[in-house]
Amino acid sequence: MRGLAVAIAVLAIASGATARADGEITLRGVYYKEHATRVEQPMVDGTFDAGDNATVDAHVLVDAITSASAGATADGSAFSERRWEAGLGYTRNLGAWRAGAAGRISTESDYDSWFASGRIARDLADKNTTIALGFGAGRDHITNAGAKGPFAPDISEHLVALMGTASLTQILSTNALASVTYDLGILDGYLENPYRTVITADGLVGERVPQRRTRNAVAALVRNYFPSTETTLIASYRYYRDGWGVHAHTPEVRVVQQAGDGLAFGAGFRYYRQTRASFWKPTYPSSDPAMEPFLTDDPKLSAFTGATMTMRFEVEGSVFGFSGLLGAMRGEAIVEYAVQHNRFGNAGVGHVALTVPFEY
Amino acid sequence: MSRTLRVVGAVLLLAASACAVVRPHQREHLARRSMTQDRDAGESRFRQHSAGAREGADGGTGEPGGGCGCN
Repeated sequence: MRGLAVAIAVLAIASGATARADGEITLRGVYYKEHATRVEQPMVDGTFDAGDNATVDAHVLVDAITSASAGATADGSAFSERRWEAGLGYTRNLGAWRAGAAGRISTESDYDSWFASGRIARDLADKNTTIALGFGAGRDHITNAGAKGPFAPDISEHLVALMGTASLTQILSTNALASVTYDLGILDGYLENPYRTVITADGLVGERVPQRRTRNAVAALVRNYFPSTETTLIASYRYYRDGWGVHAHTPEVRVVQQAGDGLAFGAGFRYYRQTRASFWKPTYPSSDPAMEPFLTDDPKLSAFTGATMTMRFEVEGSVFGFSGLLGAMRGEAIVEYAVQHNRFGNAGVGHVALTVPFEY
Repeated sequence: MSRTLRVVGAVLLLAASACAVVRPHQREHLARRSMTQDRDAGESRFRQHSAGAREGADGGTGEPGGGCGCN
């Protein structure tokens, strides 16, 4: 809770930088449950005007994870862990240009991470077209402090992450727009899970994967609003492939239905399909590096499919007769069910959120 | 990947060439929440994080993922 208090204090200081501006704070709680893992994640997000041409955004969250995964600890017992994350971003409008920078830190008992990024965007054709470029770099420190075991004694390793992104957003008509995004990610360093073991003919051994992973993702998204029914249709598709041989397709459709002023319902369906990593096997005939240079039975690297169904509900304060800032308050509830055809199994997710706008 | 990029680029160029310029006063519908960000930053961040912990794929959002011991 001390982290939350610090974050709120930082936001309050940032908000005091200008005489009068707008901002909003969102409080959100997320609950995730699958058969062996439960996650509770409270978070606070804030966005604030900083002068006439800039915005500051910040967030802080806690991940409270409880897992009964046998691979999670050396003795196969359940474990509980908390991860803290905080982020801060600044974006400035410079005429047709926008430039921004952001940073994020995350810490838990066996994994510390920081990531910094910069972004620049340019509006073209009377703001009908926007192109954006971004670059980021981060460094993680990984240990097995959570459960040192016979397969991973006293690990202290690092991972460097680099990311480049390019996007194009185009207004298609008075009711439609489209965007395409390309992300390149390069991970270099320790990419194993220090607690994961693999079944081989020689017995259980620790996971062994390549030191580098190059990831490519292209995503396209179209939004179309139908004024006659006040319906918004959002369709997207992502293609992914990486240097480990994983290819994935992710189509998604969402519908947002306005049901009068300040009231909206939504539904969504997301399908996911991936191939296995080239070196993934459920069991290995040998642990000899000369025969099997890489060993993993990570479910994330196996071939599998999944589907996620989402229902959402949003209501604004105006529905209850409030006006002004109270009328613009927004409450949100999301219920989700994910079918995962792998060892993780199916999952249920719930969100509740309250967004409070304010002036200062 | 290069073939995929070429196809996406060609589709985008075709789409862009087919659209009329929409003036600022004509963007009432485009300014709606559902047309700009129907998902808050916190929701998007959780989705990307949980997907990164359960799926081999990541990216396509323009935002960095990872940052946790969920390899």
